[in-house]
Formats: sequence, C-alpha cells, structure tokens
Amino acid sequence: MMKQSISAELLKLRHSRIGLVLVVLPSISLMIGCANFYLNQGVLENGWYSLWTQVCIFYGEFFLPILIAICCSYVCRLEHLNRNWNMILTSPVSVASVFFAKLLVVSILILFTQAFFLGLYWLAGTLFSLPGHFPVETIGWSVRGWYATLSISALQLAISLRIRSFATPIGICLCAVFIGLGMYTANLGIFFPFSLLTIGMSALNQDQLTNIQNILFWVANLFFIIIFASISIRRLKKKDILSS
Amino acid sequence: MIKTLGLEYYKIRRKKIWLMITLFLGVEMLWAFMSITRSIAKNPDHAVWESIVFNISSMNGLFMPIISAIVVSRICDMEHKGATWKLLVATNVRRGNLYAAKYICANSLLLFGILTQAVMMIVFGLMKGFPGTPPIEILLQFIVVNLLTTLAVTALQQWISLAIKNQTFALCLGMLGGFVGMTAGLFPGEARHIFIWSYYLDLSPVTFHYTGSTSLYITQPVGAGIVLFALAMTVLFYIAGSIHVSRQEI
Repeated sequence: MMKQSISAELLKLRHSRIGLVLVVLPSISLMIGCANFYLNQGVLENGWYSLWTQVCIFYGEFFLPILIAICCSYVCRLEHLNRNWNMILTSPVSVASVFFAKLLVVSILILFTQAFFLGLYWLAGTLFSLPGHFPVETIGWSVRGWYATLSISALQLAISLRIRSFATPIGICLCAVFIGLGMYTANLGIFFPFSLLTIGMSALNQDQLTNIQNILFWVANLFFIIIFASISIRRLKKKDILSS
Repeated sequence: MIKTLGLEYYKIRRKKIWLMITLFLGVEMLWAFMSITRSIAKNPDHAVWESIVFNISSMNGLFMPIISAIVVSRICDMEHKGATWKLLVATNVRRGNLYAAKYICANSLLLFGILTQAVMMIVFGLMKGFPGTPPIEILLQFIVVNLLTTLAVTALQQWISLAIKNQTFALCLGMLGGFVGMTAGLFPGEARHIFIWSYYLDLSPVTFHYTGSTSLYITQPVGAGIVLFALAMTVLFYIAGSIHVSRQEI
C-alpha cells in the first residue's frame, strides 16, 4: 500500500520541472557564498571550513527551509485542485500511507538537493585550490542537516495540508526561519525544528556537538516528526475535507 | 475599470490577505526592533530615527520580494485553480483591464503593508524615546521608494504568476529576489543596479557608514537616475507581462 502511494506521488512529480528549482536555488546560494568568500579571503583564513560557513549560512538558513516549503506546497497542491482529495481519501490506501508517501518523496527531493549542494561545495573548494583535503565532517553535517529537514518537512506538510493556498505556507516558513534564528541565538534551538536545521548543518557554529547534544538533536527531531505526522494524520481522518 | 477592480477585491474578500501581510510584516518588524534594541544597548548613539528606517529598509530587501510574490501568487492563482481565466476573458472586458485590475489590487494591499510599517516605526520610536519628533519627510520618502520598488517587483511577479500555471516558479523567483535584496550590500554598485530587488536598500533615505572605529546613520539623497531606472523597469515588466498574458492562449 505504501509502495503504491509512493509511486503515485513520484508519478505526480513527473512533468513538474521541480528538479529545475532544486538545482537552481542551491547553485545560486553557493555562488553568492563563494563570491563573499572570494572577496573576504583576507579575513576568512580557515580554508574549507571558512568556505562552508559562507555557503552554508545562506543555504542552510534561508534557501533550504523555503525550498522544503515549496516542495511540500507542491506535493499538496495537486490534491487541493480538481476535487482530488475526494479521490485520494476514497482510494483503498490508508491516510497514514498518503501522508508518509508525501513526506518520503519530499525527503528524497531534499536528499538530492543536499547531495548536489555538497558536490558544488567540493567543486568550489577545488576551484579555489583550498589547502588540505575535503573535510569529511561536511558529509556528516549534510546528513544531519537532512535529518533535521524531515521535521521541517513534517511541519510544512501539516501546514500545506491544512491551508489550500500554495503561497501562504511559504510565507509562514519565512517567518518561522526568523523565529528559528532567534531561538538558536537564545540557546533554545533544540525546541524548534527550524533551529535544529541550523544546528544540524553546523551553519553558524562548526564546534562538534557533545554526546548529550547529539542525542538531544536526534531525539528532538524524531519527536517533532512524530508529533506533526500524528496531527496531520489525525486531522485527515477526523475532519471533513474541503474540495473544489 | 473601477468595476473590474471592485470585483478583484470581492474575489479576495475571504482570503484575509491583508491579515497575512500584517502578520508577516509583524515578524519582520519584531526581528528588526529586537536587533535595534540590542544595537542601542551596545551603542546609545544608535537611538535615532534614522537607525529604524535603515534597518527596516535593509530587512525589506528580504521580506518584501517574498511577500509580494505570495500576494501576487494568491491573487493570480485563484484564476488558475478555478479555471476562471477562460470565463473572465469571455466577458466584455479587455484582457489589459483585467491585468491592470489585478496589478492595482496587489499593489494596494502591499501599500497597506508599507503604511503599517511606517506607523509601527513611529510607535517604536516614540516608545524608545528617540530624540525629536518623527521625521515625516524621511518616512514619506521611505514609503514612496518602497512602493516604487514594489511596483516593479509585482509587475515582474504578476507576469510570471499569470503566464506559468505552476506557482513554484513565481515563488522561486520571489525567493531569489529576497535573497538578492538581502545580499545587495555585498555587490558593487553597478552590478546591483541591474537587480530591482536591491533597490529597497539602494533607494533607502538613510544609509549606514563606518568611519574607523565608529559607525553612524546618515540621510542620503535619492538619485533621480536610479528612480527613473526603477520606473523604467516597472513600465517594462508591466507592458511585457500585459502583452504576453493578453496574447497567450488559454
């Protein structure tokens, strides 16, 4: 049942050209980060790690969360159109599998974006002829960042399933990015999915997380995923769907 | 034309777009006020009206393109969603008038947002006890230049939102615009004048100057050339969008 839901979701993305957005946005954020790094090389002396701070601050803080919001809005947009909710909810698949298929598809898209971004980072570092080897930690940070995006995806999916507008959830995401930044600076990052992404990607601070912080990070994300997923599934089961 | 415009407002009467704009700008203002409060705590010389105008102008570079994209997308997407564009063009109204009505409707909502910002800035300044009375001239200039830049941004957004059904691209453009607006200060002057989104900062009536170890906010005159360039971009985007959308097969 789950497999069928996933293949249906993938089928819906076939001619969407969403891949273009997934490629263009990280490329531009990386280019601006690189330009900033190039212009300030006198101050940024930590090679690969300095380049990571410059490219990641734009990508991890602003681009990635909004990209997630766009993907989530898109996978829900098709259901909001042409009374498709009626078809989905009367089909012989569970509501949970519909939600998790959407979450999985968004997570695959974001995983691709993360891998693409990492590849671009490696390319930029090589072109700048930065001293030393490619820092292997960045792969870990990207994976950790991807894990943090799962809780944001679950939250954005919950919002996009609730709000029929395509654009409003993206605006909400923009506001949440700033709230997340505020919570991160107030050392309350662990309590908000958007701040967890900052922690996961090591966008503002490259210090290694302690064991406790690491465990808290993984547990908090899992907690948010479960909470947002159960709220959405429960709502889809209990509430009437508005379709037009 | 007035009737067409009235119908645009009628269609969005339950969408609460004005409330959405207020909430989004509220978050922006809250962030800016927190940042100014911290800056004043570090340097009491920053407790001036100019600081608030500069901070909001620079944050508008990020927020306004995205909010404009959202507002325009919501106004245009309802025609795509309901497949009502066909109905509209079948009525005895020119397509150009429909396009203009949507443009005026979107910009009037965004003007409401800019005016709300100005009021919030005055309230914050009075609460913080900034010296002197609110600088009406600077605030008026802030409103005019923000509206001018927004007019060009919405012209571009409306073109994309109506021409391409998939709103992902319109929102993506808004996001890129926000990103360019946010990082505008990093580009050299000649390069950033190409991008309309950087005009939120370029046309700001106040700028920030570092002089050795000190920093200060100073008022700057708005260049006529750059204003004309912004106006030219508005006209260009609007006419190109209107012609393209009017001739497009539905």
